[in-house]
Amino acid sequence: MKDWLHSVRTLVWKDLLQEWRSKDMLTAMFAFAILTLFIFNYAIELSPVNRAEIASGIIWVVIVFAGTLGLNRSFTAEQDQGCFDALVMAVPDVSAIYFGKMLTNWLVMLFVSVLILPIYSLLYNQSLFNIGFILVLVLGAWCYSAAGTLIAGMTVQTRMRDLLLPILLFPILMPVNMAVVKAAGGILAGAPLVDVQAWLVLLAAYGIIITTVSIMVFEYVIRE
Amino acid sequence: MTLAIRQVTKSFGQHRVLDALDLEVQPGELLCLLGRNGAGKTTLLKIIAGLLKPESGNIWLDGHQVDYAEPHARHDIGLVMHQPFLYEHLTGIENLRFYARIYQVSDDIAALQKALAQVGMLRFAGKPVRSYSRGMKQRLTIARALLHSPRLLLLDEPYTGLDLQGSLVFNQLMLEQKQQGHIVIMTTHDLSHALPISSRFAFLARGRVAEDLPNRDLSLGFLETWLTEKLTKPTSDPQKVAV
Repeated sequence: MKDWLHSVRTLVWKDLLQEWRSKDMLTAMFAFAILTLFIFNYAIELSPVNRAEIASGIIWVVIVFAGTLGLNRSFTAEQDQGCFDALVMAVPDVSAIYFGKMLTNWLVMLFVSVLILPIYSLLYNQSLFNIGFILVLVLGAWCYSAAGTLIAGMTVQTRMRDLLLPILLFPILMPVNMAVVKAAGGILAGAPLVDVQAWLVLLAAYGIIITTVSIMVFEYVIRE
Repeated sequence: MTLAIRQVTKSFGQHRVLDALDLEVQPGELLCLLGRNGAGKTTLLKIIAGLLKPESGNIWLDGHQVDYAEPHARHDIGLVMHQPFLYEHLTGIENLRFYARIYQVSDDIAALQKALAQVGMLRFAGKPVRSYSRGMKQRLTIARALLHSPRLLLLDEPYTGLDLQGSLVFNQLMLEQKQQGHIVIMTTHDLSHALPISSRFAFLARGRVAEDLPNRDLSLGFLETWLTEKLTKPTSDPQKVAV
């Protein structure tokens, strides 16, 4: 277990350092997120009445679509330079590669979220700095990264990876999308946490299940 | 350490690449695998490395069947393939540090600098790999493969991109590996460089070792004639026709 955690930590360090240098994922995700926010700003007229309900949907759609761009890039270095083979031979357990990638994707998604929340607040004149709302986004991003990293590991080995990733990923994410939008919408509308508790439990359960299953099957996904 | 490959068979679709292949390599030997393009040299290396599963047959090290699920079994192997296994946005020393940490060997700066100096890359240690030439990447790749002191080295066309000096440095490193009793298996088309360091030459054809030639003071002329004869001999292998 200690070796496994050491490998995960090393992989996350390497991925974050590489991302910081290349900014492949960050640039694409951030630019896409900003553009989408602007489009929504012009396309949807938010009144003070419907603002709380719609904000959660807009934010989550932006995060999910931007996240898909990031996921598509997350295995590129391994695929292009053949590093998968080297990693498979070096790590104590192949699941460490999955967990390291998942953590990196999660951190990158959270970083992009941190950047876009103030911009949304400026554009729509609505503060989103609500601890409950942020908790929902953190949980949602975890579920998204857990499922997305597994699917990205599968599709990166195909020629149509850009197309296949969203087609395979979005249906799996339906419960997550529903839970995030309902829970975040409720919190922004002023509902107490206990009212959205069921959605939070759903998110936590989904995250635990998809992470566990992915750890178990990742070796079969990337092998031959 | 003795390596034994027993009855290994591997097909891709209808094409049988390896057909009940048997091979044994003794400690301190450097085996040079030769053969036509598509003869199965790289496939064999990948099977020995545990990156491909054979349909039948298995790999034995020191009399024990290799269990690739065991990390220490995989850590006994160093691998150089066509792709460099390097991260372009990291520097040379950062790449080595990453692999040292993953293999859980010393990642202190002196050890990494020594590894880089061995392949003549110390002065480029702080430059990102994306700025390296093909030959420089190959040198770093060799340093990476040797980093965790593997007892079995699998090298696919290791001379690719190396200049004369790089090839000589590589040969010196391989001679040291042999002296330490490690096993080296490499594929190459560069006979002039491979001849001085190879213990044996194995020619793969029809999925098997068609001929195994010990290097007892062979001359380059003889080796080239021998290989040319093998390569130009018409194959009766129906699978090759299918390819």
